[in-house]
Amino acid sequence: MKAKTLWQIIVGVFVAVVLPAGAHHSFAIYDMSQNLEFEGVVETVKMRNPHMTLTLVAAQADGSKRTINFVEGAPANMIVRMGLNPADIAPGKTIKAIGAPRRDDPNAFFLKAIILPDGKRYSVIN
Amino acid sequence: MTTRSLVARATFVAAGCALCLKVWPAAAQPADFSGLYFPYRGRTVAPQPPEYTPAAKQAFEEYQAAFGIDDDPGRYCIWPGIPRAIWGASFAIEIQQRAQDVTIYWEGYGMYRKIYMADHDAPQPILPSAMGHSVAHWEGSTLVIETTHLRPYPYMTRMATSSDAHVVERMRVEEREVEGQKGKFIVNEVVVSDPKVYTTPIKITATLQERRDAQLLEYTCSDTLWDEYLSERGLVLPDLDALPEPQG
Repeated sequence: MKAKTLWQIIVGVFVAVVLPAGAHHSFAIYDMSQNLEFEGVVETVKMRNPHMTLTLVAAQADGSKRTINFVEGAPANMIVRMGLNPADIAPGKTIKAIGAPRRDDPNAFFLKAIILPDGKRYSVIN
Repeated sequence: MTTRSLVARATFVAAGCALCLKVWPAAAQPADFSGLYFPYRGRTVAPQPPEYTPAAKQAFEEYQAAFGIDDDPGRYCIWPGIPRAIWGASFAIEIQQRAQDVTIYWEGYGMYRKIYMADHDAPQPILPSAMGHSVAHWEGSTLVIETTHLRPYPYMTRMATSSDAHVVERMRVEEREVEGQKGKFIVNEVVVSDPKVYTTPIKITATLQERRDAQLLEYTCSDTLWDEYLSERGLVLPDLDALPEPQG
């Protein structure tokens, strides 16, 4: 499934009067206008439903390291249907990830997209 | 009766039958819903938004005031149930059809549903449930399903329903052309009646598109909740994958 199609589905879900099965809550807790890009090494990943989670250890400009906590992403089933191989984001792999911070916790992010070293991009939200 | 009159009568009957066949098309056969599907382009809802009864409107306002975005039944793996499952999110759906029943598996939340055929000794309902008790009959090639014995679903922003909810579905197969290719679709016209909650029945049309390349993936929803419990208890599970390989 193309990312755009998935996003259209998710938007459709949340502007509707009622929410359907599977899409279980609003994204309003996140500032979805932001697209913060991080590059780092995957520390943990949980390919789960209703949401995958991932932590990334990213190098800071001053040389220090910061753990980026993506507390929610797409359902695991949806992102593998986009073509993502879980082995490509296993702990130890270097990837880029795009996040939107929680409004009440700037250290917790929604995982909007994963970008592999070969440039392949798996977007939940464009 | 003479031979001539017999021939005349036979000719008349044959002509009449030929006319019958021309005027009356063959009775529509029951549709075959079996297959793998994905929801197709959302659904339509009328009226939109639903019109609450005064008491339900008050319940809705109290719910909105008390429940936040994170106070969500889906986060805790509560099945959306019927009717909400019918227009579910983009996960695979598998339908298996037999003469006596239709079984629907939803990948999302791992839901499943039995629809019993009324003319095959349908069982009596036992307990109210998220998917309710569904009994169906054919009207031509359309499957008409009536569902009752639903457990209350009091989540007011998600098409809440009470125990009195009564859902009627009219499900049919359509062949449609999409992007130059013909495909099989299931169109389900749903009417949700729940006089305690809604002043008028809600009509929803949901469509599924057959996807022969699809497969139903496992959807275990409660892993995160279990992890949170273990964390609160300070328990750590053994990492069996980290055990050493056997020697020799």
